Amino acid sequence: MAADQLSATLFALADPTRRGLLARLANGDATVSELAEPYDMSLAAVSKHLKVLEGAGLISRGRAAQWRPCHLEAAPLRNISDWLEDYRRFWDRSLDSLADYLKTMPHPDDSGA
Amino acid sequence: MSVSVETPATEAVIIMRRTFDAPRAQVWRAFTDPKHVAQWYGGHGFSSPVCEMDVRPGGLWRHVMRLPDGKEFALDFIFVEVVPPQRLVWKDAGYDDPPAAGAPQRINTVTFEENGGGTDLKLVTTFRSIEDRDMTVKMGFTHIVSQGIERLAALLQTL
Repeated sequence: MAADQLSATLFALADPTRRGLLARLANGDATVSELAEPYDMSLAAVSKHLKVLEGAGLISRGRAAQWRPCHLEAAPLRNISDWLEDYRRFWDRSLDSLADYLKTMPHPDDSGA
Repeated sequence: MSVSVETPATEAVIIMRRTFDAPRAQVWRAFTDPKHVAQWYGGHGFSSPVCEMDVRPGGLWRHVMRLPDGKEFALDFIFVEVVPPQRLVWKDAGYDDPPAAGAPQRINTVTFEENGGGTDLKLVTTFRSIEDRDMTVKMGFTHIVSQGIERLAALLQTL
């Protein structure tokens, strides 16, 4: 996944409203009005959030006349999940390795810096 | 013993914890002396052809990590806080730059606490956020919720 795409995805996911919108779209396509329903905010505000999600490739918008249903695009989420998993695995491996190294590491008598 | 990972719902961090059967001063040394860091960083099968650390606020940490397949990655960090033997904070070298086509920038805080004869390590990784796509705007902290991602990912698997 392109590194700037990863950043765009993280930014898009940084907002609880946007996460809520994605969760709703995980259950099927919806129009902007339908998506805006549970929120106490203007259609314009919801549209702004959708624009961020679209910019990050997390949703696509249909072209059908004025309805333009929103559709969840799964790939960026899988990519970010993979990336986070790689990051966790990096530290998992490193700290395992550190634990082993501590057993063999020479340590002078030391009361702590 | 494996690393435990938390992804709290209200903060933009990944928290990892691990307990070591070694005194805190030793764990601190293993984390801050480049001769030692090169021995474990990345895990088994990985090596560190370059590991230079100037362990003080503003100091550079230059690292080249070699993967088991021979591929090498250059990693550059800057230290932010150094409080021996209990707290070490460092950030990706590009952290204060405008966002560019690079990996998401992070700041890492590791704390060491005595636990009997052993040491509890806690690593908190915070991701920088972008308040505005306009690159001239100052950066804040990114808020991500892995919990949310996992929930969504699980939902996606059913689609």
